[in-house]
Amino acid sequence: MLAMNNLIEERQQPVSTEFTGTVGDISISNPRMTTRNVDVHYGDKHAIMDVSLDIGRHEVLSLIGPSGCGKSTFLRCLNRMNDTIDICRVTGQIKLDDQDIYDKNLDVVPLRAQVGMVFQKPNPFPKSIYDNIAYGPRIHGLAEDQTELDGIVEGSLHRAGLWDEVKDRLHQPGTGLSGGQQQRLCIARTIAVSPEVILMDEPCSALDPIATAKIEALIDELRQNFTIVIVTHSMQQAARVSQRTAYFHLGRLIEVGQTEDIFTNPQHKLTEDYITGRFG
Amino acid sequence: MNEMTEGHIVSGYNNELTDLHQTVLQMRDLVREQIKSALKSLQDEDVAGARAVIRHDQKINDLDIRADDAIIHLIAKRQPVAKDLREVLAVGKIVSDLERMGDQARWIARLTIRFYEGESLPPHQQLLTDISKMAAYVDIMVDEAITAFDQLDLQRALEVMHKDQALESEFKSALRRLSTYLLEDARNVGHIADVVLALRALERIGGHAKNIAGHVVFLIRGKDMRHATLEAITEELERR
Repeated sequence: MLAMNNLIEERQQPVSTEFTGTVGDISISNPRMTTRNVDVHYGDKHAIMDVSLDIGRHEVLSLIGPSGCGKSTFLRCLNRMNDTIDICRVTGQIKLDDQDIYDKNLDVVPLRAQVGMVFQKPNPFPKSIYDNIAYGPRIHGLAEDQTELDGIVEGSLHRAGLWDEVKDRLHQPGTGLSGGQQQRLCIARTIAVSPEVILMDEPCSALDPIATAKIEALIDELRQNFTIVIVTHSMQQAARVSQRTAYFHLGRLIEVGQTEDIFTNPQHKLTEDYITGRFG
Repeated sequence: MNEMTEGHIVSGYNNELTDLHQTVLQMRDLVREQIKSALKSLQDEDVAGARAVIRHDQKINDLDIRADDAIIHLIAKRQPVAKDLREVLAVGKIVSDLERMGDQARWIARLTIRFYEGESLPPHQQLLTDISKMAAYVDIMVDEAITAFDQLDLQRALEVMHKDQALESEFKSALRRLSTYLLEDARNVGHIADVVLALRALERIGGHAKNIAGHVVFLIRGKDMRHATLEAITEELERR
């Protein structure tokens, strides 16, 4: 008879809610970004605790977790958006390729072109559709002449899947578009400056299901050229759009893994409880 | 009810998973009753009892359909993930296995009707001994497989897999014994063919119990090992 007595000890694998280090492989080969031992403090509040995670090329990485878990804070560390908050202190190491993005000598303006961001609520500039897209290339000096700028605007709108809908009204205000179109305009604006990484903070939470589906289809297409990190409260969205998923809880990175594994067989009980709706 | 069905913030979700879970236990009870009643009809030469077994199979079929409906609604409404998804998928497969067990129990009941309805000579009791033995054995396997599911008991699931190996050996031994009877008296051939079909039905019930044990492994460990060897399954389960 085969020895089986020890099996009964561990009937259900995710048994403990204790944190003893991130479950899953935080590192991947040839990453686009690497983060190591990242801590974030807002004044006395310790918002992110010792998070290490690689972000791969041409992958969509979802950050999920309950409200206040630190996922958006972590996202904002990736292009130093937290610099704008006086009481925020970030320690640890975050690299884009081999460049330490928290290097004191680094200019954050080109960094934010390299690591673009799309926010929860569409926030087009109060300018024309054309100027919304042309703004970034102009300030970064990416176009030699008007023809080249026109090409960037058209190309960006094409890649954002918006060209056919707006080509006849490029000089009308961007704010006159529908919510879903505005969000795709913001994505077009982000990709107009040829970023390497696009950060998305709940990009579909203000959109209806059709507009959401269009953004999700767009995310999948953009993956061919960009690295995308997305914060989402929709578990189904994380499952649909991302290749890897990271679960945050109370400032810690609890588990990271292939999305299909996280949603079928998570290893940590906190991950399992969260994604199955057992606690909020 | 167990940890697989409890603890959701939405209590309606708990209730739906618990109902689904209960349907499996209810089907287990009906299947066991069918196996026992079919065997009793054979032992008591009770044709009316056998016909009742055949009729009552519809109850198992109805529960199978009810479980499938509940699963479709759960997937559409709740989009289960992780252990909830595994529970729903495992139940979907377990109820199919239970439904097929019910079909196999009907074979035994049909045997009663073939042997004891009409004027033809009934078989010698000696030919039926293995049916009783194997029926008692598979009844235990069915009970243990569903208990393993209900109590999330990997050890019990493994025991069912071991029992299926023993059942296979028992089936082969029974076939050898029947061959001996056939050699002794070729006039037994008709009865022996019927008995072989009944034994085969019992062996299939054991096979379905083993499948259920495989679904329990998937449910608990998230790994599909239905087609792995028993040694590989044990090794894998000991690894963690």
